[in-house]
Amino acid sequence: MKLKDYKLVFVAVGLAGVLLIASPALGAVLRFPGGEQFSELYLLGPGHAAEGYPFNILVGKSYSVYVGVGNHLGSSAYYTLYVKLRNQTDALPNATSGTPCPLQPLYEYKFALQDSAYWESLLSFSVSSGYVAGNQSSVNQLTINGVKFDVNKPSAWDSNSSRFSYQLIFELWLYDQSSDAVQFNMRLVDLKLNLIRTI
Amino acid sequence: MSIGFSVDSGFAEAQQAGGNLQAANDMFNSAFNVVVSAEKAGANVSSLLVRLNEAADVLAQAEVAYRSGDADLANSMAARVHSLSSDLKSSAQAEESATLASNENTLALAATSSAVGCVVFVLVLFLVWRKLKSVYVNSLRDAKPEVVGNEA
Repeated sequence: MKLKDYKLVFVAVGLAGVLLIASPALGAVLRFPGGEQFSELYLLGPGHAAEGYPFNILVGKSYSVYVGVGNHLGSSAYYTLYVKLRNQTDALPNATSGTPCPLQPLYEYKFALQDSAYWESLLSFSVSSGYVAGNQSSVNQLTINGVKFDVNKPSAWDSNSSRFSYQLIFELWLYDQSSDAVQFNMRLVDLKLNLIRTI
Repeated sequence: MSIGFSVDSGFAEAQQAGGNLQAANDMFNSAFNVVVSAEKAGANVSSLLVRLNEAADVLAQAEVAYRSGDADLANSMAARVHSLSSDLKSSAQAEESATLASNENTLALAATSSAVGCVVFVLVLFLVWRKLKSVYVNSLRDAKPEVVGNEA
């Protein structure tokens, strides 16, 4: 090994050593980009599994589902989760174009989540007033987590899906610091419901 | 006459609740922004988030009460959110200031120790290099020259 080769080894060791010794100071100054940033929204049945979702709904009977949100945005986030009821004639939300359901929300949750943290809640609901008569049905009053809402939503028999078509929609909205407003996060899940007279 | 008064007072109450809710939302957003700033500064915001969620829960209930027409409940809850958020904002600001001050000290300490460490390391490496170089040169000097016969 020649003197020139030893010199190269010393320069390499010197550079590596300097970087290693300076790493605590460099770590405090440098910021490295994180991974993909997104929010997660899920709906589980009453058994806390992706099955057994309520579908055939009786007037006066209570049903429940778990709704949850996961934060993978890299920092704490402030969410609003809106719950809406739509019938077959109400406009649909469009997650692709980022358009939320134009209906007024009934119930809502608000919560702040740290990065990588999850929030979950058991939502119970019942049609506290409604009817099925022939080919017509109506949900007059919906109770969500003990709060009553007068909704008066009629629905005619849908022969294509063989049900009186209702949908409980969960929309995730996220607070945006730059605009100081909550914005639709293009995340939604829905629970398809059929109002029935008897089991 | 009395019906008209009742409708007017109901409308005024709803309007007041709407205004109070807006103020509560603004204060809550402001508190959240300070908590996020504190988090970005490196503070542990777990306990602040617990308090933030307490206020968020009441705020959601206030919104639901307002939407379902209970202006009284919405009003009282909005006032509670405003108070909770205001306290929280002060705590978050204090936490952020303390963390920023601590960060400055930590950064100064890290920068100083890194600089001193680098200088000492380079100096030691240079001394080792000089020693190795002299050993190498001496070994070359002490080496016996090889006599190569001239065949021609």
